[in-house]
Amino acid sequence: MENKLGLYIHIPFCSSKCAYCDFYSITEPKKHQRYIDSLILHMEDYSETLDNYDIDSVFIGGGTPTVLSKKLMITLLDGIFNNFNITKDAEITLEANPATIDTGILKRYRSEGINRLSIGMQSSCDNELKALTRIHTFDEFEESFRAARKAKFDNINIDLMYGIPEQTTASFKMSLDAVCDLQPEHVSVYGLKIEDNTPFAEKIETLVLPDEDEEYAMYEMAVNTLTQQDYVQYEISNFARPGFECRHNLKYWNCKEYLGLGPAAHSYLNDCRFSFRRDMDLYMEAMEKIDTEYDILDECYNITPKERVGEYIMLQLRLNQGLDTERFRELFNLNFERIYGKYLKIYVENDFMKKDKSTYSFTTKGRYVSNYILSAMLDFDSNIISNIVNGTDKS
Amino acid sequence: MSSRFKNIRNFSIIAHIDHGKSTLADRILEYTRSVQSRDMEEQLLDNMDLERERGITIKAHAVNLQYNAPDGEIYSLNLIDTPGHVDFGYEVSRSLNACEGALLVVDSTQGIEAQSLANAYLASDAGLEIVPIINKIDLPAADVERVRAEIEDTLAIPADDCPAISAKQGTNIDQVIEKIITAIPPPSGDESSPLKCLIFDSYYDSYMGVVVYVRVFDGMVGPGDFIRLMNIGSEFQVIDVGIMSPFGLTKREKLYAGDVGYITASIKDVSETRVGDTITNAQNGTATPLPGFKKALPMVFAGIYPADGSRYGDLRDALEKLQLNDASLSFEPETSAALGFGFRCGFLGLLHMEIIEQRLEREFNLDLITTAPSVVYKIKKTDGNVIYIDNPTNYPPPDEIAEADEPIVKASVITPVEYVGGIMELCQDRRGIFIDMKYIDQTRAELHYELPLNEIIYDFFDALKSRSKGYASLDYELDGYKRSKLVKLDILLNGELVDALSFIVHEEKAYARGRRIAEKLKDNISRQLFEIPVQAAIGGKIIARETVKALRKDVLAKCYGGDITRKKKLLEKQKEGKKRMRQLGSVEISPEAFMSVLKFDE
Repeated sequence: MENKLGLYIHIPFCSSKCAYCDFYSITEPKKHQRYIDSLILHMEDYSETLDNYDIDSVFIGGGTPTVLSKKLMITLLDGIFNNFNITKDAEITLEANPATIDTGILKRYRSEGINRLSIGMQSSCDNELKALTRIHTFDEFEESFRAARKAKFDNINIDLMYGIPEQTTASFKMSLDAVCDLQPEHVSVYGLKIEDNTPFAEKIETLVLPDEDEEYAMYEMAVNTLTQQDYVQYEISNFARPGFECRHNLKYWNCKEYLGLGPAAHSYLNDCRFSFRRDMDLYMEAMEKIDTEYDILDECYNITPKERVGEYIMLQLRLNQGLDTERFRELFNLNFERIYGKYLKIYVENDFMKKDKSTYSFTTKGRYVSNYILSAMLDFDSNIISNIVNGTDKS
Repeated sequence: MSSRFKNIRNFSIIAHIDHGKSTLADRILEYTRSVQSRDMEEQLLDNMDLERERGITIKAHAVNLQYNAPDGEIYSLNLIDTPGHVDFGYEVSRSLNACEGALLVVDSTQGIEAQSLANAYLASDAGLEIVPIINKIDLPAADVERVRAEIEDTLAIPADDCPAISAKQGTNIDQVIEKIITAIPPPSGDESSPLKCLIFDSYYDSYMGVVVYVRVFDGMVGPGDFIRLMNIGSEFQVIDVGIMSPFGLTKREKLYAGDVGYITASIKDVSETRVGDTITNAQNGTATPLPGFKKALPMVFAGIYPADGSRYGDLRDALEKLQLNDASLSFEPETSAALGFGFRCGFLGLLHMEIIEQRLEREFNLDLITTAPSVVYKIKKTDGNVIYIDNPTNYPPPDEIAEADEPIVKASVITPVEYVGGIMELCQDRRGIFIDMKYIDQTRAELHYELPLNEIIYDFFDALKSRSKGYASLDYELDGYKRSKLVKLDILLNGELVDALSFIVHEEKAYARGRRIAEKLKDNISRQLFEIPVQAAIGGKIIARETVKALRKDVLAKCYGGDITRKKKLLEKQKEGKKRMRQLGSVEISPEAFMSVLKFDE
């Protein structure tokens, strides 16, 4: 089948909220059963319309999906397989928190079709985990990781974080080394960002955070260390053994289609970006009372041609492979260098970007100031682009 | 004495900021039943938002009150409210000249302050009867007897029977009214003489044209009369005259000698109706204008630019509108390589400047960039020409300057004695020359200094307040020019001179000031892709250097699932932020970074 689709399932439950997290998530175990039932109702709604799609990646994320009981998880997986065409080689990822999994459970999930685990380690230093208000220790993480291996998971991602309160370049090195010792197939390295409306934002004055230069040093250290260990960086925050790049996440950066189910989940389908409202109760009621008018849509808009150009540049340049100007011309009938030449020249000359044949990509230094560069270059409302898109430029 | 005069009293209220002038005015209005207290918005006289907020009076106001006295007489009381700040000293003096008496309000917890003293001297120079009022007796820290003694010692005014009141609670307001009637003399004058009116305020009204507030000294004036504004020399035909009732202008057939009221005459521009000018009959008018007219001259100049360059036209319109009511505000177009198109504006002083800025921002919704304020320097060039410089950009090169003079003020500071040391240090540091020090009583002293105006226009007042825990008060008056050793300090960003950041400074202070500004800019210019050298220079010589480090981190490392919209919005927001930036060569600088150099905290 021609049409490929990624499926994201949001499980907005946690046993406790981490102080830095601004994802939509609640801590009410009583609602687990009813929510999974609602999700399946939602899948049934889409089942027919998406019949012409092959789903080659599924990502069950959260929240903490592994707070669900084994029984509910299996109900959920059955729902997915019953309602969509899941390809044989589909990448099916489950986000797992240490201290919520053991070998037995993982074996079962493995046999039900889950073939990739993403485990949040964040740090190997317990003081930093505590500062993050994570509910596990590093030992517990290690135990979970070994349990996953025992359960025959051969595609595991570890989430690692830098910029944590109390963290130093030395302690981050320890975390990096701990990751390398475990030899996961994939590593995501995220910088902690203090988001509005989180407990961290409220007490930001009291947090001892690494400064900008230290943070960059940590990032550079991660890039160097992981590259030396034969991980390939393929995106700003993502590293993998060759062949183990996360298919699901690549869909985001490559402007491919995906459907996200659950409150606060985001979708990109039929040129439309939409998301569902961050309201669990509303979501469940809307699914249960099919003939009632519930508006669960949060944002919903069609991508205009000029917006698509901007998005494409923004997303492609996140990838280490960069943006291919030939491909860009094929897609949009536009000359990338002609539009952005004056910027590209400065960035290449000063080692923020590099050009390789027909491809532009960021250097490590450039990647880490990519917002600055992209916000200077891009203009989603730009008249320049809209004139060009409307056909005045055919160069 | 004409029986008309017998029942008229013209008086002002003078006080230091916050001593309760406006509250007392409100109570007087209430007591004379001119205003029902339930209808009364706090501080009716201060009807500009900014005034109410800052608790100060910016422009003079006036109101006529009809008071039915217990003795059966009906008195016509004209209360002329005066601005309380040093920048408006001239306007205060004109308002006082319109009166026969002044209530001097003194805070019983603070005692006499610099402005009470300065205004009391002005009032006594104008020959006014001064009636001391001791206010805020409801406060626990009130010390009525000490303040009584202070008034007698410092001002040589008997204060033994002066009313001790609480304007806030309305205590003893009757005694104030009683004093107004018994202590302040009624006006005098000659109705049959040619017309002689003093302009003490005016404002522009889009229907009536300029409304001129006057005190009539001789003669009478009514609709249809032809009048002449003696100093400006223009003539008009009167449309209306009347009095200022608490609820607005109230027409009268005529204004007579002794009255306080308004005149309208289809006057288009407040620059015609200068405060202090004399109005007389166009035909057979008086030969001798009232003394003391002077055109208020701007003392402080600054460039004002729209933060968003495309709003230049809006800024011009806004300044024009403000000028309709403020003849002392001057402006002319100016271009800066760094800031684009803007205006060189002249102000009476720092407060005046601050008020204009705030009104532009609030009432006209403008985002502004203001350059460092400058005074007017008098430069004698080597070719013998004398020029006046109000913009550092125009300062001639050193080899063309024969002599440079800067404006000097006589400053008086009143402070609790324990802060005298710190304040003397501050004045010394600001190149002040000590004149003398007097003890007002055992706890407070009055210091006199001669200070260069350019040393007090930045942050002197703030520094004074911080060194005295807010207790010291300042008053100053211009006292001519004095020879000085001045240099022009330039700021370079990435090797390029930024004209809007240049300023004139005394030779001895140039090094420290240059270093401070370079530091400030370093801290306030946001990191960019490239390292930015920040330099301060005199002539071609670099005297300070700092570096804004290159940006290291500006990335969305975190993955927001498939929420691409959020990433886009972040970039768009960032792009929006960039639009506010001024591009100086390869350097982007925010309005905030520009303004940061104007504040030298200690």
